[in-house]
Amino acid sequence: MKPLVVRVALCAAVAILLCILALPMISLLVRLSPGELLHQLTQPVVLTALGLSLETSVATTVIVILLGLPVAYLLATKEFTGKRVLQTLVEIPIVLPPTVAGVGLLLAFGRAGLAGGALKALGIELPFTTLAVVVAQVFVATPFFISAATAGIASVERRYTEAAATLGATPGYGFFRVLLPLALPSVLAGAAMSWARALGEFGATITFAGNLPGRTQTMPLAVYTALQNDVSAAVALSVLLVILSFTILLGLRFAPWGAAVGGAPARPRGR
Amino acid sequence: MVGESGAGKSTLLRLVAGLERPDRGRIAVGSRIYFDSTTRVDLPPWRRRTGYVAQDHALFPHLTVFENVAFGLRAAGRSPFDILTRVTDALVRLDVGDLGERRPAEISGGQAQRVALARALVLDPDVLLLDEPLAALDLRTRAQVRGVLKTVLATLPSPCATLFVTHDPLEAMVFGDRIAALEDGQVTQVGPREELLARPRSPYVAAFLGINMFRGRIVSRDGGIVRIRTAADDGELSAVDPGVGGADVVAIVHPREITLFRQAPGGSAQNTYVGVITELVPEPPNGERVRVTLGTHPPLVAEVTDRAVMQLELREGLQVTAMFKATGVTVFR
Repeated sequence: MKPLVVRVALCAAVAILLCILALPMISLLVRLSPGELLHQLTQPVVLTALGLSLETSVATTVIVILLGLPVAYLLATKEFTGKRVLQTLVEIPIVLPPTVAGVGLLLAFGRAGLAGGALKALGIELPFTTLAVVVAQVFVATPFFISAATAGIASVERRYTEAAATLGATPGYGFFRVLLPLALPSVLAGAAMSWARALGEFGATITFAGNLPGRTQTMPLAVYTALQNDVSAAVALSVLLVILSFTILLGLRFAPWGAAVGGAPARPRGR
Repeated sequence: MVGESGAGKSTLLRLVAGLERPDRGRIAVGSRIYFDSTTRVDLPPWRRRTGYVAQDHALFPHLTVFENVAFGLRAAGRSPFDILTRVTDALVRLDVGDLGERRPAEISGGQAQRVALARALVLDPDVLLLDEPLAALDLRTRAQVRGVLKTVLATLPSPCATLFVTHDPLEAMVFGDRIAALEDGQVTQVGPREELLARPRSPYVAAFLGINMFRGRIVSRDGGIVRIRTAADDGELSAVDPGVGGADVVAIVHPREITLFRQAPGGSAQNTYVGVITELVPEPPNGERVRVTLGTHPPLVAEVTDRAVMQLELREGLQVTAMFKATGVTVFR
């Protein structure tokens, strides 16, 4: 039997945390009547922002998977000089304030940026375009995919890849037929987390890509803008984002492959 | 290949399979050179054509039994018809023909071992590498899979060399045409089974393999004791009834189970043989035990202490009586 004071402290901690986490969600959900919500969500500015958000975040997720998988494979299976540095580099965006990321992107790929001249020579102007939104999202979302995919690939036992090799499978064939399928739960979880992160991205986007409706104004930016003059529109957009985020998390929890968010998947292993 | 755990048996198989790289040396199967440090040949594992079966079988958990066995053929780009016929044939040959649609998690350990074997054999490997293929199985399953394995290895459509690693002397006797003993990374003896049986060159080989082995046939049963006639037709011995099964058996008598006498005592031992000592070899060289080879029917090797040799004044040419109990005979099929 725990002392009373400990139990009270435990209950208080849970209650306070629940208030901080749940109260904002509840406030958002109860603010508007369903009719009003529907009305707001069919406004052109909302639909435009929603469309842009989905387009850019899906594009981001595809790019993150295509570029992140080889890196995750390297980090999980190979030893090489500079591995620690690479590992730290791909994790930096997790702890970096997104606005700082935005400034960095501007200084790198902006008109006067380090790579700006080279991009201009190729006829590409990145800042304040939809492509810039994707670049900003890739910057902040990649680490979530790489850490999950690396953990997933590293958790596949070597005896499986070795068996594949002795059966005549080249490393590439073995990767797609053995390593990737066995690591798939973690890879999918990482992709979902990246997508969620891209969907909610604000700081780097507004700094690097600006806030142009129809081109760079994604949903989080539209919420911010709407709040200046039309609270109801902001609330409607927010409700939509809450529902989307919640669905992604719930989907991860109850996915048929049983992935746990942020962790390696549970999978039966014989030995 | 026999040896204690840690002797390097598995490492040796992994070297042949290409999963480990030797510092120097040469690995070749027939005319195919897998590795040669002087000419800098080092084929990657996927180009070596070895049939490697790990102790824990390592079936791919996300593929069905059929897909597991088809894996290597698919990697090699064989036609679907070719794959279907070969895989089906391999599964039937290993008596797991009805398991094709199951997942590895849904089959027993013995079945998994046979599927792993089918997966390796279906590719017609240059060399079959078996790493304690029966060790992970329980005793009953082991006997059963041992039988299947023996038949399959004897009836391969395209025979290939098999390197079979075990720490079980019985398996070594059953499967090893030639036996190599590996001790602390060194091959201490290699030769035909009979040679290792008769002249073990290290204490380990003597203790583990220097055993009397007879192929034979059960000729009578009485009160839990069977009478076995050797296949060489040079004698009989009594053993504890191994239970139901065929009459063809292998009987093993450990040399330490055999006691020697100058004169036959009136005794209870079911196995009594009279014969002349043909060879006395200290075991290990200068050791405290002596291996005594006897011209009995069937021929026996006994292992006695130095003390007993002196007390009985044993010497080559002397006629002695050898005795051992029916319980001292290990019988298996």
